[in-house]
Amino acid sequence: MTIKNYLNDKVVFLGANSIGFLILAGILFYSAFNTTLILYTFLLWFLPLTSFMILDYLKQRKYFKSINTLMDKLDKKYLLPEVITDTHFPIGDEVNDILKVVSRDMHEHINFYKDNKEDYREYIETWVHEIKTPIASSKLIIENNPNETTHKIETQLEKIEDFVEQVLYYSRSNNVEKDYIIRSLNLKHVITDVVKRNAKDFINEKIKLELDAIDTIVYSDAKWLEFIINQLIINAIKYRTPTDAKIHISTQTHENSVTLTICDNGIGIDEKDLSRVFDKGFTGSNGRKLKKSTGIGLYLCKKLCDRLNLQLSINSKPGLGTSVTITFPMLMDHY
Amino acid sequence: MEKIIIIEDEQIIREELTNLLKKYSYRIAAPENFDNIVAFILNEQADLLLLDVNLPNYDGYYICKEVRKKSDIPIIMVTSRDTDSDELMSMNLGADDFVSKPYHSQILLARISSLLKRSGSTPAQSNILTCDGIQLNLANARLKYDTHEIDLTKNEMKILAYLIENRGQIISRSALMEYLWNSDYFVEDSVLSVNVTRIRKKLEEIGIKDLIKTKRGLGYIIQ
Repeated sequence: MTIKNYLNDKVVFLGANSIGFLILAGILFYSAFNTTLILYTFLLWFLPLTSFMILDYLKQRKYFKSINTLMDKLDKKYLLPEVITDTHFPIGDEVNDILKVVSRDMHEHINFYKDNKEDYREYIETWVHEIKTPIASSKLIIENNPNETTHKIETQLEKIEDFVEQVLYYSRSNNVEKDYIIRSLNLKHVITDVVKRNAKDFINEKIKLELDAIDTIVYSDAKWLEFIINQLIINAIKYRTPTDAKIHISTQTHENSVTLTICDNGIGIDEKDLSRVFDKGFTGSNGRKLKKSTGIGLYLCKKLCDRLNLQLSINSKPGLGTSVTITFPMLMDHY
Repeated sequence: MEKIIIIEDEQIIREELTNLLKKYSYRIAAPENFDNIVAFILNEQADLLLLDVNLPNYDGYYICKEVRKKSDIPIIMVTSRDTDSDELMSMNLGADDFVSKPYHSQILLARISSLLKRSGSTPAQSNILTCDGIQLNLANARLKYDTHEIDLTKNEMKILAYLIENRGQIISRSALMEYLWNSDYFVEDSVLSVNVTRIRKKLEEIGIKDLIKTKRGLGYIIQ
């Protein structure tokens, strides 16, 4: 609230008083009153008026100043009505009351959507657990009736499993903190589990697998990490070269970190697409060519890595291959 | 023959699991009624308990806790929930292992057999596979025939054991590869051929001919 703004606001009030005074002064002047008397009248009229205005201005300025200071200090600006102090003038009180009502209503509005979202998340979790039962029974039926057809169905069933898992992790990705346990784990176990899950593709597509120095201890959550590595391997398989495909998995131990690199000799990613591969829904030219990208896999990997304090980076040359690196910090006080 | 109790309320899974485990020559008890389930389990004198977590009335955690009070039977918890906290919960209640649905049945079988071995229910004898006078010792990868005794590599032993276990069935190359991959041997197609050739050569050296037959375009078989 500047003086100029305040005066602008009071222009009608001041104008009316000035006009009133000028008319009175005119009448007094023509009635041949003494000019000193006119001056006194002026003072009598305007001295209380201006002092009132100055006090009023200061009061308003103080009010808005206190609000602005609060706003600056607040991290979440919408909490203002909760911390605002009582004023001692009616307009301030009224504005405060209105702010409180508006904010309460907004909270209710937001809670409605929060509840909705939470409901939906819980539904998805339940759904995923439910769908696992028929998948498990189908796999057992296949196991008890081994032949070429059921073998093919099993391959497809495993793809369904991967998609179902993706749904689960997507819905969990916003509150990872809820169920992760950071503990010491051997990357070898996680990697071999993921490789086994994708064994059929490795075998059928004749993809060469190279494991190099994967017997390394890191600190992370096994389930989330397995999901991330599985997504990366699925990608490496999906975007392989038609002949002599190769996937190389290795770890390197540095002074303060361990890196896990998954390197393939697949079709690679265009340079112009590379910076956007972690964006949600981004499929790029590979996605358009192969028509089976959802733009969710890498987005989720990146998001989960961020939540787990892991660094995820990607390098690629079209036609030569892609390498994805996960960096695990090794400082224990990090957690 | 070891006896396994399956506690699972989903009928199809219960039946298929029973069939699968019977095929691998286990004796099975799979109740359909879960009243007094703890007493049932304690009564059965089984060697291993496969316990689903989500059950009507009492959940698997409760049953696990109650059984543990009176018995040290090996328990594998099976659940469709797969968070670390579920696993931790099972372990804290005294379960020996934890498998999440949908599991790979080979992995489940491997866990069952290793748990049975650890608990001593499986006699050491079962480490030896026999076939037409051949004795294959799975513990040290040695093969006995007549007076001869030879060493196999781990890979070769796995391949031969799988073919013997599935005697009379044609095993496709990809099924054999998948089996090896699931046992942590990530071999390539060409390596498999080399291994089979080596096994045949080693067998021939001690006088066993044509044990492993090739069915063109289909796979291998021991008849």
